[in-house]
Amino acid sequence: MAASISSLLKPWIPRLSLVRWTRYNPYYLEPEPNKDVYMIPESELTPEQKQLKEEKLTRPIKAALSSTTSSPFDDPVISKFINMIMQDGNKVLSTEIVTQTLEAIKRRQVEKYHKAPAAEREAIECNPYTIFHQALENCKPVIGLANIQKGSRTYQVPIPLTEKRRRFLAMKWIITECRDNKHRRTHMYEKLSQELLSAFANEGNVIKRKHELHKMAEANRAYAHFRWW
Amino acid sequence: MNLPRLYHRLRLTVVQVRSLHGSSNVQQVETAAVAAESDPVSSQFSVFRTSENDPACHTDLHAGQYYTLPTAQLRTLFPHGLPYRFQMQIKTFNEACVMVRQPALELISYLKKADYSRPALRYILYGETGCGKTMSLCHALHFCATQGWMVLHIPDAHLWVKNCRELLPSSSRPGRLDQPLQASLWLKNFKTTNDRFLSKIKTTQRYVWTKRETTEEGRPLGELVDQGVARVKSSSDVVGALLRELRLQAGGAAEGAFRLAVAVDGVNALWGRTTLKKEDKSEVLPEELTLVHNLRKMLRNDWSGGAILTTLSHTGSLYKPRSAYLPMELLGEEGFDTMDPFVPVPVSSYTEKEFESCYLYYMDRHWLQHPHSQTEEGKKELIFLSNRNPSILERLCATL
Repeated sequence: MAASISSLLKPWIPRLSLVRWTRYNPYYLEPEPNKDVYMIPESELTPEQKQLKEEKLTRPIKAALSSTTSSPFDDPVISKFINMIMQDGNKVLSTEIVTQTLEAIKRRQVEKYHKAPAAEREAIECNPYTIFHQALENCKPVIGLANIQKGSRTYQVPIPLTEKRRRFLAMKWIITECRDNKHRRTHMYEKLSQELLSAFANEGNVIKRKHELHKMAEANRAYAHFRWW
Repeated sequence: MNLPRLYHRLRLTVVQVRSLHGSSNVQQVETAAVAAESDPVSSQFSVFRTSENDPACHTDLHAGQYYTLPTAQLRTLFPHGLPYRFQMQIKTFNEACVMVRQPALELISYLKKADYSRPALRYILYGETGCGKTMSLCHALHFCATQGWMVLHIPDAHLWVKNCRELLPSSSRPGRLDQPLQASLWLKNFKTTNDRFLSKIKTTQRYVWTKRETTEEGRPLGELVDQGVARVKSSSDVVGALLRELRLQAGGAAEGAFRLAVAVDGVNALWGRTTLKKEDKSEVLPEELTLVHNLRKMLRNDWSGGAILTTLSHTGSLYKPRSAYLPMELLGEEGFDTMDPFVPVPVSSYTEKEFESCYLYYMDRHWLQHPHSQTEEGKKELIFLSNRNPSILERLCATL
């Protein structure tokens, strides 16, 4: 919504020049950390890219976060996951947990790969990043429920979810599942790696929770017309 | 990257180099030629591997290449010696491959040429954190084991001066403190490594442990070790007795003569401070610990018929600044004076060739999974981030 309004906004310069905020005026543009975008020669730019380049000459740009890098190893989904695991602002600990998780996933898969006979080797996925993305994809619910009050009663109404909300729900479920329902004495990275590997294979408690949500939405189909947006 | 072409180019340079040095050392060329002929099959497929698995035959030609430790003997060779991350790597890759590097080759060449009728020489491997000192030590110990030496390996001396649950006052001497758990664990591991020697060597003195337990003169050493493992309370004294026996009998002229390799990782722990406290909350000095006292006696060069291989280690050291890695800084005045004279062997980060070899090995084992890390730019980024330091590179590649 803010993005569509931004084209109607007048050119805006702040009166005080501070370094960074958490909430920016929608007139600000997102920073582009990827180096390859700047290497494309003039002739090969698409019309949208040309327009963006024109805009960047006049519009201000948001400050880049300290956690973004220009390296291709940087993954925004993993960064979001790290931020969601973080407690009390301890980002060092949460990055360690996530990197240990990725290492644990890779170790298990590579060990399985080396012990498997040649015929089965191609089926084993060893890349922890693809496993993470696929597991997250498998955990994302397709449809959600909202509490809508009609009269004195509150109904659970099935609603469509935005991409951001789906991703958030998937990550939240994985993290709460690992924090609450696992054995107390295992490390967080072990719990996460087990949960992610079972989600990759479409098994496990998080997948079950997603299916239960889908079933509830299917059961409450009758109230779907209560939704007005 | 075209591996077969790269291999051919390397092979051509190796042949040219060999022809240049041909006149100087005929024997070296012959052994190298034999080595090259014996591994034509494997060297066709890998530039970074060598099929020469005997450390005694490793030469400069094999520098930067990986050789495989036999998995069946790994439990007996190194029950407690290898670094933890390397053990995890063995489990993941289903094989134990060690890189042949310059410091280890240097150390092995010294061991081959030393005169064992003279007092034992002391070698200290030093270098920055994570450069490969422990792995070079393990390579040298593999050489000693293949040559039939007896290996006395203390995997980390720092473990003896910190985090001790049970600290008992010594039963034999008034001012000393015993560490039964550490001593009995070490004796168990010692037994797995050196089983075949223990029945042949006999004790030279009568040892009295308690009123009812003694070990007579002339009994095999295996009995001494079993005594220490079974009766945990006297295990520290058993360790002292064992070290004394080995010191007296190493390198004798008799039939059952053996050479003794004393390997201590983290030798700077013996002359540093401890974090252990006595009951009156005063700090324990290292010389008050039985294990440390006896080990210090072992490290003196007053016995012959073996070698003393040691490593300095900053990780695990207590009360030392992070930038300290030289012998003078880590050993302190007292330690340096005791260890002097020694042969220093510096260990540094990977050279370009070694880095290439490590990178190719990780690619071969499917360890580098991120698509960007398999490109040239990803490799440059890895070099930049790790500064070619082996342990940092290993940790980086684990997450990619």
